[in-house]
Amino acid sequence: MLAAFSIAALPFSRGLLHVPQTPYDATDATSTPPAWILLARAEPLIPKGASVVIRTEPADANNDMYLHRFGIALLPGRKIVAAALWGVPTPPEELAAADWEVVVGRTESSPGRRLVFSAPQGSVWRRR
Amino acid sequence: MKAGWVWLASFAVYPLLGAPLLAHAAFRRFGWTARAVLAGGVGAVLLSWTMTAFALAGWQWSFLLVVASAGVAFAIRTLIPRVSEPVEDDAGEAGGSRALVRIAHLLTVTSLAAAFAATFAARSTSTDLLLFWGPKAQQFAGARTIDAAFLGAPHLEYLHVYYPPLVTNVFAFNAMIAGRFPWGAATLTFPLLLAATAVALFGILSTTRRTSAAAGATALAISALALQGIRSAVAGNAEPFLLFFEVTAVALLLTPAAGTTAVQILAGCLLAGAASAKVEGLPFALAVTVLFLLLERRRARPAWRAALRLLAPALVSVATWFAFGMTRKIFYGYQGYGRASEFHWDHAATILTAVGIALWKVSYALPFAVPLLVFLLSGRPGRRSLIPLGVAAGITAFLLLAYLQNPLDPSLWIAWSAARVLSPVTALLALASFSAAERAP
Repeated sequence: MLAAFSIAALPFSRGLLHVPQTPYDATDATSTPPAWILLARAEPLIPKGASVVIRTEPADANNDMYLHRFGIALLPGRKIVAAALWGVPTPPEELAAADWEVVVGRTESSPGRRLVFSAPQGSVWRRR
Repeated sequence: MKAGWVWLASFAVYPLLGAPLLAHAAFRRFGWTARAVLAGGVGAVLLSWTMTAFALAGWQWSFLLVVASAGVAFAIRTLIPRVSEPVEDDAGEAGGSRALVRIAHLLTVTSLAAAFAATFAARSTSTDLLLFWGPKAQQFAGARTIDAAFLGAPHLEYLHVYYPPLVTNVFAFNAMIAGRFPWGAATLTFPLLLAATAVALFGILSTTRRTSAAAGATALAISALALQGIRSAVAGNAEPFLLFFEVTAVALLLTPAAGTTAVQILAGCLLAGAASAKVEGLPFALAVTVLFLLLERRRARPAWRAALRLLAPALVSVATWFAFGMTRKIFYGYQGYGRASEFHWDHAATILTAVGIALWKVSYALPFAVPLLVFLLSGRPGRRSLIPLGVAAGITAFLLLAYLQNPLDPSLWIAWSAARVLSPVTALLALASFSAAERAP
């Protein structure tokens, strides 16, 4: 019975032999895969030692806190500036100091930054 | 992709590190496959301790770690008497139905295959891998030490800096060999360690001569842990490590050889692995030691020596870790979610309800209910089955008290954690069933 329930718990609808894009594709953490894909593609573009702010669009302080943590994991060697911590957004002047900006979700172009990379999950911007 | 394969292949180093101990003739009774797996467990414990000791001393990690770990294994081996110690015979019947053994093995393999498929399909990945196990291991591998500056950095308190070091050390060691930390490969530690648990458990329990009971207990434990692990998403976190060490240590103390110096030393090394893998591993090791001394007085003679063999490795491991935290001023012990002496009994009903809901969500609590039912049908429990039962009761009480310490409503915390942290109970019930079945006519 236990083995049968284990088999029943497998994500057959996604195809078991299909190689997932991220380790979280079939988990309940549905907001993780888009951020993972974007950060994984941003990683070779952002030099080590650069400061990066990672945020969602539209802004969401709770998601932004997790994106800071994802950045620590997936962008090693960079200084990750938190866009929000414990539900409190970081003051804009502190965010402005970051060299790079990774935006999960759609965002429009704005002065003071240059689009480096864009994907359905979001975009990577070089500031100044 | 290549780094992932190399990272996984690096696990082959661990049995070599533990081999000096497990090569001792006293462990021949477990068969060579179980010995190789147990050597891997001992190797991981010794390597992790050596990595922590190097970090404490301010030395960078290098190839010397391997030499030092193997040296410690040789040193521990010298504690085992050269003359073979007498092992009392059990009253169990030899053999057992071959058909039953085959069916049990088939169930074990099916559950392992399901765990592998779920992990490969990204169904069971733990969020904790991305939040703290992975980042810490990645950072430590790059720094070639336990990076105190990283652990003490502002806004990184969510890394749980005081969590014991074995999982991050093992992940980091493999990452140093592979050249980077491969996130996908790290999730495969769930099916790999579950398979290692199955091999070691069957090898250990088979020494009681009832092969069918050993195969049945292994199938029950592994099937329950696989289902629980798949549904609770444990791939890439510390639970598979903790369960490997806990289950094998307790199983060793249920065998006829539990009274020997060799087996007590091996069980002690594995309990050190549990204490070095997760916070709750230390109370687990304490509970196992106390219950073994109380319930197996004849085998535990003299008690102080048995206590030393079982507990000293865990205490040395944890003390080394605490010494590192204290000297770097980043932690001074384990942190709870409230004051140690303060229990919020007004939360008791909420906690019990939340735990019930959390367990129910894991396939209607089947990973807990089925082993419990098997145990109840296994006949009158003997003295030996009281060890896993007592440890299960103790660890459950410890976790419920931890929830009671939280001054806030712990419902969300319980929803995240209860099924995972209570998973050792499922395997302990399977071991209790085995002991009860062993003494049944």
